Amino acid sequence: MTERALKARPRNRVIVNKTIAPYLFLVPFALFFVAFLIVPLIYAFDISLYKKAMVGGVKFVGADNYIKAFADPKFWEGVGVLFKFAFLQIPIMVATALLFALILDSGVVWAKAFFRISFFIPYAVPAVIATLIWSYLYGPAYGPIGQTARFLGYEAPDFVSPEWILGSIANIAQWQYMGYNMIIYFAALQAIPTDLEEASVVDGASAFAFATRIKLPMIVPTIIVTVVFSIIGSLQLFTEPFLIQNMARSVINSNFTPNIYAYNLTFVGQQPNYAAAISFLLGGVIAVVSYVFMLVVNRRNDR
Amino acid sequence: MSIVGKSATSAKFRRNRWLLTAILSLYFIYTFMPLFYVITAATKSNQDLFSTFGLWLAEDFQLWENLKTLFTIQDGIFLKWMANTAYYSSVSAIGAALFATFAGYAFAKYSFFGKKLMLALVLGAVMIPQTALVIPMFLMLSNLGLTNTSLAVILPSLVFPPGVFLMWAYIDDAISNELIEAGRVDGAGEFHIFSSIAFRMLMPGFATVLILAFVASWNNYFLPLVMLIKPDMFPITVGLAQLYSTAISGTGGVLLFTVVMTGALVSIVPVIAAFLLMQRFWQGGLGAGGVKA
Amino acid sequence: MAVIELRDVRKTFGAVEVIGRVNLTIDDGAFVIFVGPSGSGKSTLLRLVAGLEDATAGQVLIDGADVTHLGPAERQLSMVFQSYALYPTKTVRQNMSFGLEVARLPKAEIKARVDGVADILKLGDYLDRKPRALSGGQRQRVAIGRAIVREPVAFLFDEPLSNLDAALRVEMRIEIAKLHQRLGATMIYVTHDQVEAMTLADQIVVLDKGAIQQIGTPMELYQSPANLFVAQFIGSPKMNVLAVRPDGSALIFADGSRADFGLPVPSSLAHVGFRPEEAQLLPAGQGHLQGVVEVVERLGSDTFAHIGLGGLGIITARMPGNVLNISLGQPVGLGLTMNQLHQFSADGIRLS
Repeated sequence: MTERALKARPRNRVIVNKTIAPYLFLVPFALFFVAFLIVPLIYAFDISLYKKAMVGGVKFVGADNYIKAFADPKFWEGVGVLFKFAFLQIPIMVATALLFALILDSGVVWAKAFFRISFFIPYAVPAVIATLIWSYLYGPAYGPIGQTARFLGYEAPDFVSPEWILGSIANIAQWQYMGYNMIIYFAALQAIPTDLEEASVVDGASAFAFATRIKLPMIVPTIIVTVVFSIIGSLQLFTEPFLIQNMARSVINSNFTPNIYAYNLTFVGQQPNYAAAISFLLGGVIAVVSYVFMLVVNRRNDR
Repeated sequence: MSIVGKSATSAKFRRNRWLLTAILSLYFIYTFMPLFYVITAATKSNQDLFSTFGLWLAEDFQLWENLKTLFTIQDGIFLKWMANTAYYSSVSAIGAALFATFAGYAFAKYSFFGKKLMLALVLGAVMIPQTALVIPMFLMLSNLGLTNTSLAVILPSLVFPPGVFLMWAYIDDAISNELIEAGRVDGAGEFHIFSSIAFRMLMPGFATVLILAFVASWNNYFLPLVMLIKPDMFPITVGLAQLYSTAISGTGGVLLFTVVMTGALVSIVPVIAAFLLMQRFWQGGLGAGGVKA
Repeated sequence: MAVIELRDVRKTFGAVEVIGRVNLTIDDGAFVIFVGPSGSGKSTLLRLVAGLEDATAGQVLIDGADVTHLGPAERQLSMVFQSYALYPTKTVRQNMSFGLEVARLPKAEIKARVDGVADILKLGDYLDRKPRALSGGQRQRVAIGRAIVREPVAFLFDEPLSNLDAALRVEMRIEIAKLHQRLGATMIYVTHDQVEAMTLADQIVVLDKGAIQQIGTPMELYQSPANLFVAQFIGSPKMNVLAVRPDGSALIFADGSRADFGLPVPSSLAHVGFRPEEAQLLPAGQGHLQGVVEVVERLGSDTFAHIGLGGLGIITARMPGNVLNISLGQPVGLGLTMNQLHQFSADGIRLS
């Protein structure tokens, strides 16, 4: 009886077995991952070891490009800009995202869904377009900010001046990404069981005490993840300053951020080899910063 | 729900409610202002753009004229840009979401040799700066003669590591191991289990990755900027940026400023509309992924 | 410690009335248990006492003072939650101190209280651990400790043992009984488990569909249930109940069988009940009803026989020890003694 049942299994259908299955599922992703991530990286690394000379063509120079990059003040200037940008933009964005997420999670306000969605909408706007719009808004003559300021009797700051430019770019990032982080924090807060809140009410805690002393500590892992991704994103800053360049050619120089520097080196300076080295160095900086950040955070957690 | 103050009707609760709603409303004004500006700017003539108050309409309602200009400029290139963007983004999004789902399923529901290594690689991939990839990709593809094709923009976008993580977290949560084992006991093959049992349950997560990949592709500027040379291949991002720099540099004629704003309006309306319509689907998925993290 | 009183308390959620008019007084130091099936409103009633829900109507008084509009902390009540609700990012010590810190007690006093309670509950070794490093039973003790530390006028327990395995549940039941003896505090306890109710309570409040069915001591509820619901909710296995129609001095059962008792039978009698240990099993042919043994369960300490009475359904009989002369398929007779039967009207109300 049993033997017959076993033999009845159709033999012409391919039964994927448990051990092979995961690899098969990974194949599509892995294929493109290798083709468009690993291979370009290897290629980039390869060309970074060469140099194109005016005379004699392309020749192997080993680590020369890297040594040059490491000592290149233009690169480190760009890194400095990135650090300033990150220190300015990330805390403000995370703080506002947390604040609004807590407010929405507390259930106190009206029109929760409305605020949730409307704060998220800027994320749907491409960075290019957001930068365009804000460039117009920043316009000294015709931008509404300037217009309103003059109406009130003040002079609006020059948003693309060297003093303000980082703030202006940070503002664009804030506008774009706050909602996205807020939604992530909101989801994490919503996952907190309601009887914890009731226990805190029984303990006599106000909603504010509960939010700051219980809820926030509970979502720290989520906050850390978003901060790490924000750091990685900030250190790759390209689009916003690149476009604002049009309005502020003197302020945004060719090496304003390392990514812009690499771009200009490739397409303007015709030095793809050196550009590749710069990119790798930037990748190294990003890796180091992320790693250090996680180390610091984890040590605090273990305490 | 929560209990603020003593009960839902106490004075303190009502005051908090007003105060917090006011705070959120202020930020809403900040969020909406640029969008409002795009709408009003698109309705103005170039002259009015510079002379009237930015955040309100001018007497001369020029929206239709601006739209006409937008769609006819350079022989209707804007429509081509829109079509390009839709095409690149849709194909990339579907492909990226599918690949990410398959991969996430593998990571979530199987243990296999090399799993940790692969996960570490995917995580590392998120940290790599775009320039390190895009420019060598360009050089590679130009050797293969593939630059300035839609493939040059679509194929790299099929790799979406954040999607893999999101699906990994989501699938781990959403699909119990018991369900899969029940399928195995019933004699179903692994892929059959995936397609007939698991996939249906993944829809919120899949929709989330789909939208995120779509948005990522739609917003992408650097990749198409580098890969594409002929304007009729551009997506909207690259095209509009070019119009803008032409407008500022003064070479395209002063008319272009309003056209850029009108173009911005036309390009963000569908995406925002799509978000609003699909929000039922994606909020759940994003939540699960965020919680897991 | 305090007297807690509910006066004409009602609770509705939208259009649904979850608690009908409830009047209840809980004496100082009493251990009162709210028991009932799912949806009976017992947890809602507890939360109304706690102040976690607002009463739609009526008043809650503690020691005569109207606390209806105060929150739980202001009512000076503590609560132990079914899921313990321990703060996951805080250590055991911090969990227990939290309420006291919020109340701005001096640090020395907080430490003294926490140490004292940790001693009573034997939590001393775990004070610096976080909840995820504790077992279920340990977490439960921390939840109880958190409640004790605030020195409330009454303790509220919301199904605290439901999440524990059977053996642990028995152990913790005893711990809670000892705690009550030790602290002498008023305790209000919610459970769906009537064994917990019977063993722990001074007074039991039986609830069904938002209405109080009966209030009494465990024995009162067991021996004199006020209605059919209480009769069949308390006691395991359930009381056997048969529908009857009086006919002079006899009863007619649902399948037409007739049992004569010699004495006049109350005309409003519609249901009779007897507990499994009250079942009188007789040799086949004797007694008022005939049946066949369908299932025998031997627990060693007891023997249960499930007897099919034909059209009247199955009744359960309980006999102490291991009864050898009962077996599957054996025909038996059932004897009924009128003045020993629990008698209920057609509405299910006890006939006195």
